[in-house]
Amino acid sequence: MSAPVEEHVEQPVSRPTLEELKERKEKSRQRVREDAEVLTVSMGPHHPSTHGVFRVDLDLDGEVIVATRPEIGNLHRGMEKLAEYRTYHQVIPLTDRLHYVASFAQNEGFCEAVEKLMGIEAPPRARFIRSMGHEMCRIANHLLWLGIHIMDFGAITFQQICFREREYMMDLWEMLCGARLTHSFCRIGGVAKDIPDGFEEKMRAAIETIPIRLREYDRLIRNNRIFLKRAKGIGIFTSEDCAAWRITGPALRAAGVERDLRKNEPFAAYPELDFEVAVEYDADVYARYLVRMREMYESCKIIAQCLDRMPDGPVLAEDAFHVIPAKKDVMRSSAAMIQDFVHVFRGPQVPPGEVYKAVETPHGELAFYIVSDGGPKPQRLRISTPCYYHCQATPALFEGEMLADIVGIFGSVDVCLGSCDR
Amino acid sequence: MGIADPRDPREIRDLSAALKKPSPIELQQTLERDEGQVPGVLTTTLEKVINFGATVSYWPLLFGLACCAIEMMACAGPRWDISRFGMEAMRASPRQADGMIVAGWVSLKMAPRVIRLYEQIPDPKWVLVMGSCATSGNIWDTYNIVQGVDALLPVDVYVPGCPPRPEALWQGLEMIRKRIREGKHGYDGMQTIPVRAAMGE
Amino acid sequence: MAQAKSIDELTAAHKQVASALQSKFGRKFVESSTFRGELTYVVTPEDWHEALQYCRDAEELQFDRLDCLCGNHFPERAEAPLEVIANLVSIPYTTRVRVKTRLAEGQALPTVTDLWPSAGFDERETWEMYGIVFDGHPNLTRLLTVPDFEGFPLRKDFPLQGNVGGRIRWDFKGEI
Repeated sequence: MSAPVEEHVEQPVSRPTLEELKERKEKSRQRVREDAEVLTVSMGPHHPSTHGVFRVDLDLDGEVIVATRPEIGNLHRGMEKLAEYRTYHQVIPLTDRLHYVASFAQNEGFCEAVEKLMGIEAPPRARFIRSMGHEMCRIANHLLWLGIHIMDFGAITFQQICFREREYMMDLWEMLCGARLTHSFCRIGGVAKDIPDGFEEKMRAAIETIPIRLREYDRLIRNNRIFLKRAKGIGIFTSEDCAAWRITGPALRAAGVERDLRKNEPFAAYPELDFEVAVEYDADVYARYLVRMREMYESCKIIAQCLDRMPDGPVLAEDAFHVIPAKKDVMRSSAAMIQDFVHVFRGPQVPPGEVYKAVETPHGELAFYIVSDGGPKPQRLRISTPCYYHCQATPALFEGEMLADIVGIFGSVDVCLGSCDR
Repeated sequence: MGIADPRDPREIRDLSAALKKPSPIELQQTLERDEGQVPGVLTTTLEKVINFGATVSYWPLLFGLACCAIEMMACAGPRWDISRFGMEAMRASPRQADGMIVAGWVSLKMAPRVIRLYEQIPDPKWVLVMGSCATSGNIWDTYNIVQGVDALLPVDVYVPGCPPRPEALWQGLEMIRKRIREGKHGYDGMQTIPVRAAMGE
Repeated sequence: MAQAKSIDELTAAHKQVASALQSKFGRKFVESSTFRGELTYVVTPEDWHEALQYCRDAEELQFDRLDCLCGNHFPERAEAPLEVIANLVSIPYTTRVRVKTRLAEGQALPTVTDLWPSAGFDERETWEMYGIVFDGHPNLTRLLTVPDFEGFPLRKDFPLQGNVGGRIRWDFKGEI
């Protein structure tokens, strides 16, 4: 690198109070006229900017949105019903396909919930691999989000640029688990496979390159007049709104709330890792952009720490009643073969009870509510996805805003309809 | 209500009615062929030139439904770059599209919209069905998912996978281009699309 | 937040929540239990709204977020087969609690959309999937399935593949 790379400069953070934010929100939204003649437009399920098959019925008074009626369910698969017919091991590939941009994060959430229910723990090496995988998903998700968000604002090349970076992560995932997109890498009691040879060098090269590229993109976007005009002061959603509408993740942290389940309710190896929670205080589209950019830098740091501190050991817990054994043992040891047989044909042994476990996925707090009646299949699996509630909050997000701004606002809360409809 | 379960031996989907009469496009081609005074070689060359043009500028409808859409976008990304084949212009409006890449499962709620979009695409059109979910429903054998888009509309190419790699989608697109060169369509020989035939219209 | 030493032990914050709720509603709880460090309370349907409102408004609880409201069906329990579960989160105290209620067939429950607007979709989906009516809900219509769907899918007696006779519905009631 010939040119000096400038350090990520910390901008002085202004911290408006809740009242100030509410005032700014009132000012930024348009006043809705009493005698408005309303035109209803359906921003239909087939739309280039709805991030999936999401339908909103917008009542417009000119350019101002008077009322919104979201309609979801175009991708409803009945995943919760299907999960009741499958053993806990077989539910893992279903959870992949929730928020398909960051599959491993969902796998991990489910496995953490089931491990809590069973009362077992994954070995240390598996926990570090899980954290690393989770952060890889975070980088991949935020890169896709960035590309599509900026493309929605009109800079179409950004999608291509961010996909180039995303290919680093996809290649690494392919090396690790064989799949680019729907990983199914987590297992109850650990992860499926150990890190292969050559993975570490490639990973370190990737996390060296990605921050450099991110700084380039930051330079292009952060002080860009068009982006500032379209993002600063638009789409203000205060912390009270976020709590009332169950908005979590970067949108909540952009409103000044320092809540990140990796710190508040740690899972995987996060208690042993140092990182900062990215918080901004302006609660607008611009703040959410800043939060996600910082999260990407932090993710690179976390992955570096995971690689440095990775302990040796097995990647699956030694627990015959709850864990599927590693395939290499199945053909070599009779105990493992019996264990494999029982788990595949019957399922794991699970105590009766119920758990509610939430993890911090790249788009918000994903929670699994599992009710077990003591059998190998869940009696009830409720998946509480962040995107479901982000879609529900569209009336509160859009009302009073101008039509041209809603694409940016909706993109900034990062919705994926597969996760919404399950 | 006409219901068809392909596994039920008692219900045989009789689509022969759809296949007896020539399709409108075949009729038109027959008319053109018969009335034209130009010799056959010029028509064939003209067709070949037009088909070649269509091959290198197939503009699919931007219709990614689910996970396969991410791989479709990756295929359109810088690494696999279907822009080399003239396909980067994924049209948002069906009236401007040459076909559909149905990427993802189709739920009962989405099915009427898929059909409507398909019918809005002007002839000639080619449909590529991407992923196992659109091909056959994949693991989603539930109350809300259509078990295969070919129950609704005629399909040219199926690309299985969950999700198929961008290279697999690319191979599927090459097969589409071969179909374009040959001038074959999924709806050749059909009077109406399968779902309309089964609904009895 | 201090970590519990064993997986079933309650943290100090959760013990405070338990004592606060016990002092206010102790006699009214049908059941209370802890499992894996989580608190679960069962209330009667008549106390549902009051209990949740107390959870949200009390100073020492401040459960300002309804993380998830869902239903469940236990066909083996003849007198109260349906259940509604609310999982609450307190952002200031970083605590969680679960409040449940048991319902008979056809019994309705008051809505909590006045406490947390995010309950709107949750209650709609619970009605759609189980048939539990929420009194006072602004829009209790089908959310995830087609508007003329018949049946309540997540009930245990509903077949996985649907009961339309085939898995492909041809008649879209003229919607195309």
